[in-house]
Amino acid sequence: MSLAQRVLLTWVFTLVFLIMLVLKLDGKVQWNWFLIFLPVWIFDGILILMLAIKMAGHCKPGYDPRNGSPDLRLRTWYLTAMLLKLGFCLTLCAKLEKLADLKLTFVCIPLWTMLLGALVELGVNIFPERREA
Amino acid sequence: MLFSLRELVQWLGFATFELFLHLLALLVFSMLVALRMDLFDAKLSWWLVFVPLFAADGLSTYFTAIVSIRLYQENEKRLAVLRLLWVLTVLSLKLVCEVLLCQKLVDQERARDLWFGLIVSPLFILLQLLMIRACRVN
Repeated sequence: MSLAQRVLLTWVFTLVFLIMLVLKLDGKVQWNWFLIFLPVWIFDGILILMLAIKMAGHCKPGYDPRNGSPDLRLRTWYLTAMLLKLGFCLTLCAKLEKLADLKLTFVCIPLWTMLLGALVELGVNIFPERREA
Repeated sequence: MLFSLRELVQWLGFATFELFLHLLALLVFSMLVALRMDLFDAKLSWWLVFVPLFAADGLSTYFTAIVSIRLYQENEKRLAVLRLLWVLTVLSLKLVCEVLLCQKLVDQERARDLWFGLIVSPLFILLQLLMIRACRVN
């Protein structure tokens, strides 16, 4: 996918989610919270599918790891991050729908784990490991 | 994931360190929200909860100002002005949304006219701007 296609995909799902969220918060619609989060489920589903296909490509015989794509470890982290985000959204919806009597702290644990991981990844990029020449 | 870090930096117009700063602010903010909802309730003001986000916006403005001044001194005047304008637009839209949301949460009764469509409207504008910028970057 080109950058424009990826941007368009992200943009459309974000816009639809924001519109649905605003409608729900303003009381214009009485939909279920799981339905409000539908764009998030679809977007995450597409991302997880894309990641799974790319990871499966790594396992094919004759795969050359030097072709410049991120390694399997990085892709595994991406998949974990996606699952953590999905876990956060699911527990948040369950709490908002009063399906589970959970404290917000427990709901936020997957989000915090994901954010910490993202911070570490960004930190590694800001301060790259200095190797001796 | 969907975008590489380089693509994100190009698209959003923020340096990696600024992205780090905003992510860190989001982490602290979410922790404070959870603390307020679960433990402190009314004892912790919403304005205090939003402090990490405001601080990140302030620091980001400061770094952008420094980078723009350096660029200007190195005779990259067009780049300096464009960068400053873009980052200030994004940050001010984000700040307006944060302040309105905070105001709504602080006084839900008095801010009844402040509906969420209005609060989120800066984000809608930001989305359009990001789409235009994506076309240019592409």
